[in-house]
Amino acid sequence: MTRARSLGRRIVVPALSVITALLVGAIVIVLTDFEHLSQLTTDPGAAIGGALGGVARAYGAMLTGAFGDPGRVLTALQSGNSKDIAAAIRPITETLVATMPLIFCGLAVAVSFRAGMFNIGADGQLRLGALAATMTAIFLSGQVPAPVILVLAILMAVIAGGLWGFVPGLLKARTGAHEVITTIMLNYISSLVLFFALRSPVLRAAGSTSPVSKNLVPIVDVPNIIDLPTIRLDWGFIVALLMAVAVSWLLFRTTKGFELRASGFSATAARYAGMSAGGSMMLAMTISGGLAGMSGGFMVIGTVGQLSLDISGQIGFNAIALALLAGLRPSGVVMAALLFGALTNGGKLMGVQSGIPFDLLIFVMALVIMFVAAPGLIRSIWRIKVTPPSPEVPSMTTAAPAEQA
Amino acid sequence: MSEPTVVAAHASAAQPESGDSLSDRRALRAARIRAVAFILIGVIALLWASSSFGVTAKFSFWLQERGGASADLVTTVGVLWVAAGVASIVVGVLQLVRGASFRWRRWLLVVIAPWVAATLGALINGKTATMTNVLASSLEAATPITMAALAGILSERSGMFNIALEGKMLVGAFVAAVASSLVFLSTSNALLATLVGVALAMLTCGLLGLLLAWLGIRHKVDQIIAGTVINIGAVGITDVIYLRVLQHSTQYNAPPSVQAMRLPLLADIPVLGPIFFEARPFVYVAYILVIVLTYLIYRTRWGLRLRASGEKPAAAGTVGINVLAIRYRSLFYAGLIAGLAGSYLSLATSGSFQMQMTAGKGFIGLAAVIFGAWHPIGAFFAALVFGFADAVQSLLSILGVAVPPQLLASVPYVVTIIVVAGVVGRVRGPAEAGRPYEQG
Repeated sequence: MTRARSLGRRIVVPALSVITALLVGAIVIVLTDFEHLSQLTTDPGAAIGGALGGVARAYGAMLTGAFGDPGRVLTALQSGNSKDIAAAIRPITETLVATMPLIFCGLAVAVSFRAGMFNIGADGQLRLGALAATMTAIFLSGQVPAPVILVLAILMAVIAGGLWGFVPGLLKARTGAHEVITTIMLNYISSLVLFFALRSPVLRAAGSTSPVSKNLVPIVDVPNIIDLPTIRLDWGFIVALLMAVAVSWLLFRTTKGFELRASGFSATAARYAGMSAGGSMMLAMTISGGLAGMSGGFMVIGTVGQLSLDISGQIGFNAIALALLAGLRPSGVVMAALLFGALTNGGKLMGVQSGIPFDLLIFVMALVIMFVAAPGLIRSIWRIKVTPPSPEVPSMTTAAPAEQA
Repeated sequence: MSEPTVVAAHASAAQPESGDSLSDRRALRAARIRAVAFILIGVIALLWASSSFGVTAKFSFWLQERGGASADLVTTVGVLWVAAGVASIVVGVLQLVRGASFRWRRWLLVVIAPWVAATLGALINGKTATMTNVLASSLEAATPITMAALAGILSERSGMFNIALEGKMLVGAFVAAVASSLVFLSTSNALLATLVGVALAMLTCGLLGLLLAWLGIRHKVDQIIAGTVINIGAVGITDVIYLRVLQHSTQYNAPPSVQAMRLPLLADIPVLGPIFFEARPFVYVAYILVIVLTYLIYRTRWGLRLRASGEKPAAAGTVGINVLAIRYRSLFYAGLIAGLAGSYLSLATSGSFQMQMTAGKGFIGLAAVIFGAWHPIGAFFAALVFGFADAVQSLLSILGVAVPPQLLASVPYVVTIIVVAGVVGRVRGPAEAGRPYEQG
């Protein structure tokens, strides 16, 4: 009973946050709809109707893009034609494909936040992981069997991402350098590293003038879950789910996880209890980077099949929003990642069909973070009474850096 | 350094075993490692020197005006390497002799300056570097970073982290470009358009500053998270409007660009005039802001209260200072300055708004705050370092030097990391920056 109520309480604010954010997004769609707004003086009814129609079209396209058409799925399943089935279920599997990196990066952000580290470098860690996996695949191509390449590529991705996360952790623990600044700078540097690496003829696709790598699918490809044409959903998604279980176990069932969370709540208290707060910071950032790197690995040798400059897209931003939305719980991260995956995948169709830029979702994500972080806002907007839950998110600013030995 | 300390340092260096505490021995070991490192890089510089005595390094300065008569400093790259090597070895030896108490960070400049000159000389490889241009464009590039840093100083001195500078600058750049274009379209008065654009950009960012303060103070949102909200939101909203409106209707994104303005008398100072006083008006505004803020923060009652709110809000509250009001106000002022910085980007540098055009300048500004020890003048010089990195990058690409552009482009970011990590010097910021304050 109490459990159910606390679950309900936990869901009300995040749900209303997402809804409110989407409503504000709708206002932005209307306000930037110059075509209809210009009619406001001559034909206000048509102007308002047209603008609201634009919102309906945009969000409608998002919904279809994310989940497809249920009727079509049924008829396709009855017909038994694999091409029809693939086409019908593709929106859903594409949503799951978009969810996969979001789970990895959401977990990455959650682990670091739990330790009091505001890792906004998931983008960079993902890029480095993707680069490492690409290089491993290309260098080992034809020399060892594909399954070995697969394992090694993911391993290298984890190591590269982990190192890219370890650096800001080390700097914070040793010198107190704020991880927000260092991770952002490492994000910019990672883009340049990627650009630099993709200039090399070894990595770059033959005959291509734009910086994209060779197609990795012939070398190594993560096996698909459903074997249908054009379906990209692969075992990377399952690994992502397993990682959620692993992170949950690490955080809540192990001593290290306890130390990590304790350092996040109060580095000083953790130090007085004999724990190494600096060690926890470094560990959390390394795990965080490793998870983001793994995501990059699974993308280039799995769902995407190629390394490009914009491999990370807006995943890093979204990961922060969804980790906060999930209250930094691994199970919540999976749920929130599914939601954001649907938004991301649906957002693409929205862009194509209604001309609303995909970037609208970035704005919506920012609002989601704001509403989740300030539940008072949501309560006053919707005039509901929700007792504030216990602080789930450790403060980023009050976690003092470890003193130097 | 006074004489007795040198003697004391000598003694401890001579007899490491007598140092009873563990930390003393650790410090001594670190000092020795540092000394060896300095000497080692000095030797490397000397080794490089031998092969490059034939390459001339020419640094030229314009005397009176840009493109006019010039004074040249001509030497060879080899000589520069020797200078770098000797400087490094001297500092290394000093470190070795004086032990742990040697204040090596003050001497870093002595090592870094010849290294930079030698590296630059080696990179341009015989071509002429017009230093007036390099320094003047350093100043231009440093201007938005200086302004961002000043905004950061104001916020942090009052006790609020302002990680949102990046987003505010982006919004400022956007508003300035659009407002200025609109006014120019209707009045074709470039000066009026620029002024309106800048004013609106400042006001918008001031309001964003209030939003940040409101989230942080009223709703007790973690200040880092609140700042991130503004940063991400700024990217999202400016991208959407750019893609939906500005991309097609380019006339709304064509502000009259702000040109350089020669200051009479001051620009006639030989050598220095063309560097410092032949710039865009934004640069002069930055000079004035640096001076005015230094005075306000350190010499007025307002500044004392501002610093008290950041250092010891409880004490400030006890003597009747309204800490929260001070924090709200400083974030508003910081927003105004960030808006000015943003409008520089779209009105001066590129002449239009581009998506995500701030490219980390807000964060680099925060690094300049730390590098400049939370002091406006310090922050200005710190920003100049970043500006110099930027200017050298464009100099090298103009001269067609074969260095991967990505490598050069990453220099400011790497420097920022080094700076915030405190490798260059450890300084302490306002004690209570970032912590919420409960006003009774």
